Amino acid sequence: MADKMCMVVSEGTFDKAYMPLIMGTTAASMGTEVHVFYTFFGTGLLKKTAKPKLPGMFRLFTGMFQKKMKAVGIPSHDEMVKQAMDLGVNFYACTTTMGLMGIKESDLKPGVKVLGAASFLKLANESNVTLFIG
Amino acid sequence: MQKDATLDARGLMCPMPIVQLAKKVKELKSGQVLELLADDVGAKEDVPAWCSRTGNQLVGTEEEGKILKFYIKIK
Repeated sequence: MADKMCMVVSEGTFDKAYMPLIMGTTAASMGTEVHVFYTFFGTGLLKKTAKPKLPGMFRLFTGMFQKKMKAVGIPSHDEMVKQAMDLGVNFYACTTTMGLMGIKESDLKPGVKVLGAASFLKLANESNVTLFIG
Repeated sequence: MQKDATLDARGLMCPMPIVQLAKKVKELKSGQVLELLADDVGAKEDVPAWCSRTGNQLVGTEEEGKILKFYIKIK
């Protein structure tokens, strides 16, 4: 059986957006089954309209940062989510957060699934690695 | 070293060389040798780690200035 890895993402800034994508695409490239669960401020990253910014004052430099990343082959957030999905990475939005923040299933990027805590914990229990990005 | 294909990942930084490598390997047949070119210093450790996790064999490495060359035999 393939190794399994789970991540929880609880923040919605640019850095917290990319960390699970970098780890997730790499793990999937190494043959690991990957599940990423987005909760609280992380959930907004799964919206079709998501445009994450660097935290605090650094948000002003997001565009410049993005350009530098593009130059070394790291695509935009939206494109990287698509690439990760192509590699088999599973993305889940927390149902409670969706309710609290008024996010509808139709607001989410195509391919994103919705999941409750118990289902995520079942996946985490079966995983060799669980990371918390927050 | 003898090779059947080359993947040029120069200019790309972690994790893209590994992501591209995983995609490229799917196009190749068992026993073929892939040459991977990279200049991300992280690749020096990442490529052997990827090989040991995926069961593909790293049959050789070379360094030419800043360019790292990896030869990977597909499992």
